[in-house]
Amino acid sequence: MQKVCLTVNGREVSAEIDERTLLLEFVRDVAGLTGTHNGCLEARCGCCVIEVDGDVVKSCNVLAVQVDGAEVTTIEGLAPQRLAPVDHITTQSLAGMYRPLEAVRGTPDDLHPVQAAFHRCHAVQCGFCTPGMVMVLKDYLEENPEPTRDDVRRAIAGNLCRCTGYQHIVDAAMEAAAELRGDPAPEGAAHGATAAADGG
Amino acid sequence: MTETQARPTGVAPRLVGTSVPRKEDLALLTGTARFVDDLRLPGMVHARILRSEVAHARVRSIDTAPALEVPGVLDALAGAELVGKVKPWGDLMQDLLVGDHFPFATDKVLYQGQELAAVVAETKYQAWDGCEAVRVDLDELPAVVDPEEALAPDAPLVQEQIVYEFGEGNVFDRYKVRIGDFGAAEAGAAVVVRQRFATNKQAGAALDPHGCVADYDSFTGVLTLYSSTQSIYMVRDVLADVLQIPRTKVRVVVPDVGAGFGSKAQIFGHEVIASLFSMRLGRPVKLVLSRGEIFRSGTTRNAQVRYAELAMAADGEITGYRDYVVHNTGAMSVWGNQVVHIGTNVGMLPYPIPNIHVDSDIVHTTTAPGGPLRGFGIPQAIWAKEQLVDMAARELGLDPLAVRERNVIDPDEFPFRTPMGHVIDSTSIKQCLQASAEAVDWSAPRAPYEGKGLAVSMKYTSCRHPSLDTDLSAVRLRLETDGTVTIYSSDVSHGQSHATMLAQIVADGIGVGIEKVSLAPPDSMTAPFGLGTYASRGAAVLGTACRLATERLRDKILAIAAHVLEVGPEDLDTGHDRVFVKGLPDSGIYLEIIAATAAYRTHQLPPGFEPTLETVATYDTPTEREGSDGSGNLSVTYSGAAHAAHVRVDPDTGRVTVVDYAMVHDTGTVINPLVVEGQHHGGFAMGLGMALSEDYVYDAQGRQLNASFKDYLAVTAPDVPELTKTAEIPAPSTMIPGGQKGAGESGTGPVPAAIGNAVFDATGVRFTVLPITPQRMLVALREKERQGVETLRYPDDMPDFTGPRRHADWPSPVSAGADLDFDFDWEDDD
Repeated sequence: MQKVCLTVNGREVSAEIDERTLLLEFVRDVAGLTGTHNGCLEARCGCCVIEVDGDVVKSCNVLAVQVDGAEVTTIEGLAPQRLAPVDHITTQSLAGMYRPLEAVRGTPDDLHPVQAAFHRCHAVQCGFCTPGMVMVLKDYLEENPEPTRDDVRRAIAGNLCRCTGYQHIVDAAMEAAAELRGDPAPEGAAHGATAAADGG
Repeated sequence: MTETQARPTGVAPRLVGTSVPRKEDLALLTGTARFVDDLRLPGMVHARILRSEVAHARVRSIDTAPALEVPGVLDALAGAELVGKVKPWGDLMQDLLVGDHFPFATDKVLYQGQELAAVVAETKYQAWDGCEAVRVDLDELPAVVDPEEALAPDAPLVQEQIVYEFGEGNVFDRYKVRIGDFGAAEAGAAVVVRQRFATNKQAGAALDPHGCVADYDSFTGVLTLYSSTQSIYMVRDVLADVLQIPRTKVRVVVPDVGAGFGSKAQIFGHEVIASLFSMRLGRPVKLVLSRGEIFRSGTTRNAQVRYAELAMAADGEITGYRDYVVHNTGAMSVWGNQVVHIGTNVGMLPYPIPNIHVDSDIVHTTTAPGGPLRGFGIPQAIWAKEQLVDMAARELGLDPLAVRERNVIDPDEFPFRTPMGHVIDSTSIKQCLQASAEAVDWSAPRAPYEGKGLAVSMKYTSCRHPSLDTDLSAVRLRLETDGTVTIYSSDVSHGQSHATMLAQIVADGIGVGIEKVSLAPPDSMTAPFGLGTYASRGAAVLGTACRLATERLRDKILAIAAHVLEVGPEDLDTGHDRVFVKGLPDSGIYLEIIAATAAYRTHQLPPGFEPTLETVATYDTPTEREGSDGSGNLSVTYSGAAHAAHVRVDPDTGRVTVVDYAMVHDTGTVINPLVVEGQHHGGFAMGLGMALSEDYVYDAQGRQLNASFKDYLAVTAPDVPELTKTAEIPAPSTMIPGGQKGAGESGTGPVPAAIGNAVFDATGVRFTVLPITPQRMLVALREKERQGVETLRYPDDMPDFTGPRRHADWPSPVSAGADLDFDFDWEDDD
């Protein structure tokens, strides 16, 4: 047993753990954040991707003891509305968790632009690969603001999706990239209508 | 692209036919969705299964006692102590149970990965340690991996204990089709093309691992099973039967399920094992499988060898089809034998072939169990048949596009019954074919090492399975007392967007805002009985049940409103959460007032009105059971798919790249176009994996060499071309009240054949096995050059090919001599 302390989504989490504990298991079982998924445990499917000190890692391939003291961001850390406790109780803050989904955009108050674009473009089917995909694309688009569609495909080559055929995921990444760059939203941008224009 | 349905009623725009963003997404995007591995119950402990490392072995002994000495281990189980206490389960064949499944191997191991023992401990790691302590003594037997070798009289016998109704030796079941007279078609044909085709063993590889949490309450005797499954009632009924407890004492609850593709459409040993542990310990037991376990012991696409023949008249008319199918269903099978029945029946479409003669031997091998996987046998049948169409067209000097245009179903009148018995209620398959060919510029000249290929198929929309005489789904709706609606269904959504799709139907039906409609999680304690989510049945069958329940709810709502407003129900309409007098959309009564009246102010209800606003509807499709000649209309309607592939082959690396791909579909009336488009994209990707990369590779001892995503080449984003040529030409079903057809699987059927035809066009190499890997392509191209030939079959024309190269050497069906009711003239036809 060994003591490990991590900062997960801004919150300090420490525990005495079996040395065999993977970072993935620390996040899921110790920090209690189950949005990071175990799809293969062999660093192939990408469902477990999180950010450690600003870089994305497949958390199933890292022992928790290896990253003692690190800052970790998980999928739960991207949408601030899920993080902040309700400190001022109003009918809206308690009951307003649900907003019409058409109103959900990428603003600091609700979803990260990548999450919002996934929603608009129907880049989510079963949703199991989604957290890993979103984490990888967030990191990639921060460093590569003007990718081509082929660039995006290579960026997610380490993430498997068995549902979507990746088309709508690439659509979403291109929309999110434009939004992160601050480009004006093109006419009819939603629902992947840009796919043909972008070529690829 | 999909046309939006414009059918105005009331004042609100109709949601059916529009790409409403999904209600499911927020939880999935923010990490709050709960999959089975995310569940944590108080006092929960962890189980792990010890699986066989060898494929085929006699069990000498399995001793779990040492595991009990390991710190943290609470209990251990193996097969011997369960014999006579839990009931075997398996397929239903002609209503007879085949008990080939048991929680653990008892006297014999039949495939690598079969359960030998299991351990439950306080932590996952302790359970691992416990498994390592179990002492196993096995006496390895020769494996049989190849389905044709399994037919040999001296082949190792896989299942020794079961006496099959329709088979013997390794033949598990037999299947035959006798439509018309193939012999006459053969005699009268301008050309008969014949080829042996083999298909691969593909994994569903849904990313959410199979798993469950079993929670037995020893005071009430209720076993609650949280499971990642596609069907709660199949799991509940079989589990109750296996454990011999009442069905009311088994509750199956399904959390979020991360896809299935057919691989979760049955009960598995781990669900029984977790339940047994929980019943013994009185504590919740979690058992989630690892990726390697899922590869080795999950179900796979059935690999087939098809000795296929197609007869064509000089004008290109397809006059007959004959096939002998050796169907590999692995070491055991719940659904595997059905795959060849339905896949062959529906795989004859979209051609009304008048003479069909099929025999199949459904065989056991010492490999992972076969089962349903996206397409259910249709991709295998289409792989053979659509390549034969190209081969025949070439022999006759006809354009493959023209031949298909000549043959696809395009009747003057619907419904149209094919000789096979399919009742086609509507189709646009001919227009889909033409549009797909046009989209890839079919007639343009090809660059070197580039080629184009076509394939067409039709996919059943749900199905009356030969072993089950039912095809139903059900929905219960409740208008809650605040005007919101809860939908109850037992058909598990695992990526299909049920919460959105059903809410669109309800919102249109009673004028409630879609944000006020919720889908309850599937729970056998509360959901109406339905079969589950498989066979592309959600939109059409479940959707129809939902439509019927909505209509009944609407009738009740209007009856109350008519009473209050003192008008006739026919004068009323709904919209914007209100019931109003037609023409006065700004007035009316809110649904919440009506709902509250129905529940809390019942004396204000119309005389005789049964209080509360809850309705239920069950829809069973008007389909037929399979006839003794193999004919029958097994599906309520059929969705069409015409695909056109444009490939480029790199002669230096052997790599096949799909550079362009057109998919034109008839999915009838589409409820949510973006969702349906996503289904087609995903269906294509699964077909692409089947065509180019995915397969189970076994060594001679039956050990899988690629039970990992490292070696099992699942399709990645760079492998997939831009799928911008995905279109719908809707021909709404006339059998389904809303016009829907199944969307989930129609994207897979034509893919391997379209790519195979394109590869031949590009290289002159006719692949007769799958997948078309770079290694195979490279050796084929070199052999073609060495032989100096224009065309070459891989592997049939390779020097090291050991199978039958010519029709004269083909095997006869083992089943031919077994059934004396039929005049099998197989030998005489040569």
